[in-house]
Amino acid sequence: MGNSYSFPFLCEWATEMDLSLAENLREWAENEVMARRLELKEDYEGLLEPAIRKLFLEIGLQRLFWPEEYGGDGHNLPSAAVTATAALEQVARGDVGIAFLLSCLLALQSAVAMEGEVKEEICSALQEIITSKDDPALVSLVLPLYRDEPQATARAAKGGWTVEAASARPLACGASASFFGVLCALEGSEDGVGLLVLPGGTKGLKRGEAIKRTGLAVDRHAEVTLEKVKVSEGMCAARGPEACRAFLAWLYMGISASNVGALFASYEILREWGDNRVIKGRGNIFKENPLTASVMAEVAQDTALSRMLTWNLARMLSEPGVYGPAGAEDNYVTALMVAHHVSQAAERAINRSMEMMASAGYAKEWNLERYWRDVKTMQLCLGPYELAKMDVSRFFYHASGL
Amino acid sequence: MRTIDDFTRPLEYLSPLDDPLGMIVREWAETWVIPHRRRFDEDWKEHRLIEPAFKRLMGELGLQRVLFPEDLGGWGLGRSNYAGTSSYRLFEEVARADSGMAVAFGVVFWPLVMICMEPHVNRQLCEEFAPIFCSTTEPRFAANAMTEPQGGADIENMEIVKGSTIQTTAVLDGDEWVINGHKLWPTNSGGVCDLFGVVCTTNPGSEDPNDFAFIFVPADTPGVTQGPPYEKAGMAADKNGDIWFENVRVPKHYRAHGPGLDLLYFKEVITFGNLGSIAFVGGSMMNVYERLYQFVSEETYRGKPLKEHDAVAGALADIARDIEIIRIVGYQYARMVDRPDLYGPRWSEEMVAKGRAYKYWACDRAVEDVGRAMNIMSLYGADRDWDVEKHWRDLKIVQLWMGGKQLCQAEVARWFFDCRTL
Repeated sequence: MGNSYSFPFLCEWATEMDLSLAENLREWAENEVMARRLELKEDYEGLLEPAIRKLFLEIGLQRLFWPEEYGGDGHNLPSAAVTATAALEQVARGDVGIAFLLSCLLALQSAVAMEGEVKEEICSALQEIITSKDDPALVSLVLPLYRDEPQATARAAKGGWTVEAASARPLACGASASFFGVLCALEGSEDGVGLLVLPGGTKGLKRGEAIKRTGLAVDRHAEVTLEKVKVSEGMCAARGPEACRAFLAWLYMGISASNVGALFASYEILREWGDNRVIKGRGNIFKENPLTASVMAEVAQDTALSRMLTWNLARMLSEPGVYGPAGAEDNYVTALMVAHHVSQAAERAINRSMEMMASAGYAKEWNLERYWRDVKTMQLCLGPYELAKMDVSRFFYHASGL
Repeated sequence: MRTIDDFTRPLEYLSPLDDPLGMIVREWAETWVIPHRRRFDEDWKEHRLIEPAFKRLMGELGLQRVLFPEDLGGWGLGRSNYAGTSSYRLFEEVARADSGMAVAFGVVFWPLVMICMEPHVNRQLCEEFAPIFCSTTEPRFAANAMTEPQGGADIENMEIVKGSTIQTTAVLDGDEWVINGHKLWPTNSGGVCDLFGVVCTTNPGSEDPNDFAFIFVPADTPGVTQGPPYEKAGMAADKNGDIWFENVRVPKHYRAHGPGLDLLYFKEVITFGNLGSIAFVGGSMMNVYERLYQFVSEETYRGKPLKEHDAVAGALADIARDIEIIRIVGYQYARMVDRPDLYGPRWSEEMVAKGRAYKYWACDRAVEDVGRAMNIMSLYGADRDWDVEKHWRDLKIVQLWMGGKQLCQAEVARWFFDCRTL
């Protein structure tokens, strides 16, 4: 009988530790989220907060990729890309929003904590947050809304930067983040852009009113305003286009893996439906009807290919010796393409799964609709596809004017 | 500046009610719905915010009466030759504000189509049920109880299953029908319904059209139980739930027309369902256009409004194109509904099949287009405050109901390609 393990990935790239972690997270998803969600729906206090605390604090995923010398588990090599993918698939199968928050954290950790490139001041500043036994480490990323236009600017000041942003829209956690990663236009710097890290209590950082949005219920969303926020030079996690692209490539990998997890969950829900639902009268099982079977095939195809693409991206990021640095333009464009492709595949496949299940696909009781809302909300964190395509064309066709 | 009124309407065959009714409903929408709709999702169970808007539209403005004959307090739309085009505009305007409200409002007329439309008006039942809707300023709701557990909307696949899967039974006992069964999902159930039209069989497992029965059941009849509303992805204004009929007794004459004719005219119900679905989609898309227009005009990229970026403009063009075509197709189908002398009976296989084709095309386009609109809006696309995500959530179920896309495909292929076994 098929399950989400049926979808192929090159297991030779995963270590025993990766697979063991994935198996444990599969249990986390089933015990902490899936077994309780029929009753609790998307209740934050009852379901989502306990689940994220268990995952981030007790299982310790927020420490896994953090350097040992700063209290982490020290899995901070590029090979962590594969580990992260294996983990995020299973986390997202339980809850896409939690996987997305973890993706943001891992992406930032990739910029500050990679062995050989550890940003000491940032790791010192965040050590207490990452190694906390009490509070999940939630990062809020303030990235460009539209391709290459940062929402924040940073002006060089004595030994650091002064950061400004008016009603900036982070990807998530504006209201609840322990710290922020702000991609800024660096005024007066040849580097052009940089990723600055701000602890949550930084003076001049103001959080706006809570915002309601389509999905990712675990996220406490709000706008952020930065008024003359002072940041020391050492709190720059990534400086220049290549370093920022590397950070984004890791984020895109995380989003892709989270979409794959959502696809797994949707596949399982649809499979149960196809096994039991009758069509065209008594005795005709849904999955045996050629018309519906052809749609179900497309759902499986989108799931399988999305997983393959995501694992390939993870492999590329995990082997800079073979594929070059994560922030190289070709790797960045690949990550961008994979993220958009997988995100659209997830939207399409879950849309079609809902079509198969008709009204049941729309009812909260069947859980499918929450994945539909979550993947759409997460897709929007990639920015408009129409603008992302400019980066793809710029690279493949040398369209330097785009 | 362009507005939604720049999308084409077929001026040569608009109903005389198109403009006056359209403006009345638009004013109602601006006053009673649009300022409040961002809080509707949390109101899905209680309808404290939604109910007053229904009361204004249906009870006080009187739009719940339109289908009944004038002498019974109605507006006589059922006997006019513009029920299709009028209702299309009405539903479109309501859906612009909230497609869930449009659905709940539109479905009031769905079972009434069986008895209020020429040439098959059931005068006795009109007289009996008109006071429910015409003698009050409170909103009153009707519902079609069709979908059943296990097979879902499979019962609508009449050409193949021929009613054989219907498990809700109607047994004649003297001068009364005794109804037993369990229905799921009707719009306007979940505790709000006043009058059900119930799809039953008088001979379980039979494929004989004579055994298909459409029987009216007032919701307060002993033995009728409405379950609580389902919690859904959207469409908070449309309540859906389980309904149980346990030895429910109604007079014999509550059957809409009798053997053979019930099934025949029930197909007209499907036609109106398809027409309404296109209007719900089209109306929502109109508002998506309005909100998107504002967004891409205000937001800037590289120093220019977002809409002035060529690649974004290409996507905006696709969305506008689809809204334009959906409206033209919707009005055309409405016209076909209004002129059976030219296009054949509303219950014909041809009308049902063509309606299914238009409906699933419009729904597919809308789901994709609103998703694209959200994408253009970047992180703001998911914001409740921009309204587009609400339309995205709400519209999805229009694509899913009435048997979903696959039943549409089967009926379209069956008619256009003379398929025999689908």
